[in-house]
Amino acid sequence: MLRDLFSPFRYKPILDNSGSNESPLSRNKKPKVKNQQQTLKRLWRYLAVHRIHLILVIAMVIISSVLSLLGPFLAGKSIDHYIVTKESKGILKLLAGLAVIYLFTSVTLFLQNYWMVGIAQNTVSKMRNDLFNHLHKLPIPFFDKRQHGELMSRVTNDIENVSSTLNSSVIQVISSILILIGTISVMLYLSPLLTLLTLIIIPLMYTGMKWITKRTGRLFKIQQRNLGDLNGFIEETISGQRIVKTFSQEKKVIDEFISKNSKLKGAGFWASAYSGFIPKLMNGLNNLSFTVIAAVGGWLAYKGHISIGTIVIFAEYSRQFTRPLNDLANQFNTVLSAIAGAERVFDILDEEEEANDEKNMYDFPYVDGRVEFCEVSFSYEEEGKTISDISFAVSPGETVALVGATGAGKTTIINLLSRFYDADEGSILIDGKEIKKIKREDLRKHMGFVLQDSYLFQGTIRENIRYGRLEASDEEVERAAKLANAHSFIMKTPGQYDTVLKQDGSGISQGQKQLLSIARAILADPSILILDEATSSIDTITELKIQEALQRLMEGRTSFVIAHRLNTIQKADQIIVLSDGQIIERGSHHELLSQKGYYLGLFNSQLRKI
Amino acid sequence: MRIMFKFLKSYRASASVALVFMLVELFVELWQPLIIAKIIDEGIMNSDIPFIFKWGAVMLGISLFAFFGGIINSFFAAHVSQSFAFDIRNSLYEKIQSFTYANFTRFPTSSLITRMTNDVTQLQNTVFMGLRIMMRAPLLILGSTIMAFTVNAKLALILTAVIPFLTLFLAWIMKKGGSLFQSVQVKLDGVNSVMRENLTGIRLIKAFLRRNYEGKRFSRANLTLKDETVYALRVMETVNPFLLFFMNICVLVILWLGSELVPTNGAEIGEVVAIVNYAARITSAFSPLSFIIAAFSRARASAGRMAEVFETANEMEDAEGSIHSNREICGDVEFMGVYFEYPDTDRPILQDLSFRVKAGETIAILGATGSGKSTLFQLIPRLYGTTDGNILIDGHDIRSYKQESLRKQIGFVPQEALLFTGTVKENIAWGKQDASLEEIIKAAKAAQIHQTIMKLPKQYEAVLGQKGVNLSGGQKQRLSIARALVRNPKILMLDDSTSALDLKTEAILLKSLKEYKCTTLVITQKISTAAEADSILLLEDGRLLTEGSHDSLLKNSQLYRQIFESQFGEEELEHAQRSV
Repeated sequence: MLRDLFSPFRYKPILDNSGSNESPLSRNKKPKVKNQQQTLKRLWRYLAVHRIHLILVIAMVIISSVLSLLGPFLAGKSIDHYIVTKESKGILKLLAGLAVIYLFTSVTLFLQNYWMVGIAQNTVSKMRNDLFNHLHKLPIPFFDKRQHGELMSRVTNDIENVSSTLNSSVIQVISSILILIGTISVMLYLSPLLTLLTLIIIPLMYTGMKWITKRTGRLFKIQQRNLGDLNGFIEETISGQRIVKTFSQEKKVIDEFISKNSKLKGAGFWASAYSGFIPKLMNGLNNLSFTVIAAVGGWLAYKGHISIGTIVIFAEYSRQFTRPLNDLANQFNTVLSAIAGAERVFDILDEEEEANDEKNMYDFPYVDGRVEFCEVSFSYEEEGKTISDISFAVSPGETVALVGATGAGKTTIINLLSRFYDADEGSILIDGKEIKKIKREDLRKHMGFVLQDSYLFQGTIRENIRYGRLEASDEEVERAAKLANAHSFIMKTPGQYDTVLKQDGSGISQGQKQLLSIARAILADPSILILDEATSSIDTITELKIQEALQRLMEGRTSFVIAHRLNTIQKADQIIVLSDGQIIERGSHHELLSQKGYYLGLFNSQLRKI
Repeated sequence: MRIMFKFLKSYRASASVALVFMLVELFVELWQPLIIAKIIDEGIMNSDIPFIFKWGAVMLGISLFAFFGGIINSFFAAHVSQSFAFDIRNSLYEKIQSFTYANFTRFPTSSLITRMTNDVTQLQNTVFMGLRIMMRAPLLILGSTIMAFTVNAKLALILTAVIPFLTLFLAWIMKKGGSLFQSVQVKLDGVNSVMRENLTGIRLIKAFLRRNYEGKRFSRANLTLKDETVYALRVMETVNPFLLFFMNICVLVILWLGSELVPTNGAEIGEVVAIVNYAARITSAFSPLSFIIAAFSRARASAGRMAEVFETANEMEDAEGSIHSNREICGDVEFMGVYFEYPDTDRPILQDLSFRVKAGETIAILGATGSGKSTLFQLIPRLYGTTDGNILIDGHDIRSYKQESLRKQIGFVPQEALLFTGTVKENIAWGKQDASLEEIIKAAKAAQIHQTIMKLPKQYEAVLGQKGVNLSGGQKQRLSIARALVRNPKILMLDDSTSALDLKTEAILLKSLKEYKCTTLVITQKISTAAEADSILLLEDGRLLTEGSHDSLLKNSQLYRQIFESQFGEEELEHAQRSV
């Protein structure tokens, strides 16, 4: 136990400011130059919306301050007039008056807090909404490079810092400043010279505060970043719990957790230790100033420059000077941690949105479905092309199948077509219009997707299917489910269409998830249909049944199909065979077979005799 | 709240140091007014410069002392609160790691995350604040009350009369606050959960243009969080004005009593003044006191949420004296009349399932979507326990093995290839932490992913994003197969893990798997894969429909023939049947 006494001295100083904890993927991003004042200004912009309420709060602070001075004053009066004179008649009247004043003091006190809580929480709630809405405007690569938990931490932990500061600090700061102004005015009135002397501590204070805040500001930020990092790690390992468990890697993740956690502890220790210094520093400086006043004042009085009474009163006031200063100093810490939190929120708000502001955007009300890729190249990383020089054209209503080994670039083509990513070179045209000049929303409005990861949301099965078209009626939802062959399994679940799927759609099998995703896409009724491994986890008998439905669905729509089971794509109008990001063969099923190339090999491997 | 004290225990010494120095500081602070009064009364009044300097120096001296005391206090308080939070987070995480799969259905991921970060931070702040200022307010109140008594017991009595009432009120408000903040945290879970879903499903949301829909969903969650928070905080904000008013009324009563007592000489005027002064001091302590009350209510709610995690029973703790603790298994797997339903449901997923796989054999499991294949897999590494029936490995019930030693010998490849942020090498080495680069490469080669890796910019050191987002579906699957192979498992379980692979790659992969001497269980949709197995299990609605080799199933099973036909067509089916 005693060893613990020495542990505070074992914390390693935190020198590293380079953000080593950030995901290595985002390391190449330029650090944003920002300072605390800017962040404060932005925070103020959020607060300023509630100007009227803020003015009310300030009014209440002033009234309650005056009332709280008036109360003791009248109480003193009652002693002088009624108790000292031993003439208690009439005291009840005065006391009743006092009771009313006290009541008002409490009411104004309550009201200022009441309104402030409203302002603070509305502000914070607005920040959360802004953050969320902005996230949705960010491009897919942004999400691919971040840990989800790290982003979540900004919505909860960082905003929490802002929230708790706004709740309590604003009023404290206002009332402290009011008291300070009051005290200084009285002091100035009493003796400008001594007041100046009192104020000599201000440069000292400034230097001291600067020294501390330079450290705490940074440390708070590191602390919040480490917390975000930890949050990210927790999210990832809990989402991947199946792997942790089946591989018995509990110990490994726990160790990793501890090391991230101790980073957080280290930053947290220095942040709170340094910020704890501020009030102590203020206290020390105030005592210094008092001593100086007493000494200089005494000397001045001795010389006869001022009256002794003045010094006495002045000394009293300079003592009162201390309290609000101390309160202010205490608030400083929480304000700093709020700034650190807010900064991380603003970091995201400053992330560039999906480039969309090109002028001369096309309107895109109706789609025939002609799709052309012209010499399109793209890479996810800086080096190595994922696809290169891809060109093909699809007539309206045609079905195109993309075939090729994994990693050949099939999904990439889909990503480019739907503008999850934008091509590096070349152009993609739909109905002759360059898709870079079509708003993403307008573009995707005409597309229906069944993506490789069939993601489902927490909610009922009905809600999940209806995601395809929000205004669809219950009958339409059921019809889509029937077409996708999902109806029969849905009817077997306890609540049927109202069965609630838990997080990440757990509780139903992977194949069933795919069935629901297909139902969702069917419901969307798009002009261009995209099926990326839509049936990979579905048993082949069910698949055959869905195939018919899909075939019907694809009629009259331009469709892109990625599938490994070749029998599902034999009817495609055009089959494009990809290898290492390039098109190596193309044609219909029969054409390709007669080319006797890669496709034939694939086809035979599937039909190899058993 | 018990949790707080439990975790604070190891920092008793440091916490005491922090408290002692806080008292030192408090003491100095109380002493200062006396010195100031002395300087004013004796120094300034008499223009006694040396006296002023002398006592001024004393004051500077003790304030310097207080300054250092304060710094030490803040040093130790920071240490205690940070270490305390550190310990809690570690224990929570360890506890969560020991959760069974069933436990996770009780706590959504987003809620666990909030508990481990936000809730812990609440506690941490309370402890830090507690060690720095907590004792001040109560001490000030106590001291003032005692002083009031020494002045005039009769008048001070009114102060004590308030105390039981105050205590009751504070206890009530703390309880009320606790439950209010509890629901605030629950709402925070809600916000966190929508946020997490949106991050995970971002592609889908973008594809379906559901930004506004999700935006509405989020603002709903956000709004309820705001409303709960506002309500909770506003309730807590009534404490201070209420106490203040109450105390002020006390002052009025004292004044009134004074006016009655002084004429009859029941009290001195000075005494009345002094007691009113002390009452004022008590009043001034209320503001921090109510702040502390609010913090404690919040901490109480958060501590309760942590206790929920800590108190969750792990039903699948290893049995006492797991006999086969570190036994190396051969890989003989047997299901005996296994029934299973997921916790909190009453729909059986598996019914009366019995089969046996001999060590070294390969078995394929076929069945329609939702027939229970993946569920069956989860029972073997004991992600879930069976509802009824036994699973034996090498003839011993799996419950008699230590979970860790059992799982160490199983290579599990789940349906969705879950990867983690980190390098390719790290991801493969998940399977075996001390794996050498050769072992990793060997596994990668067998999983047919080595060549792909070598084409990556940094090869084995290439960094994968969260859940391996920057790889194609098939690449992820092969990496997760490599991860299972690197540990040289005795039992290899592939849950439809080659669905995103093209057939050519798949065939080579399956062939190279044969070099690993292990029992292999494969869930598959493909007859071509199943045909290679020693035996095929055909599941339907959670029951074992039939079992046998490809040839015998072709002969005897209608369903199997249908599956065959769905993949190869009628002609092939006839052809195959003829050749059997």
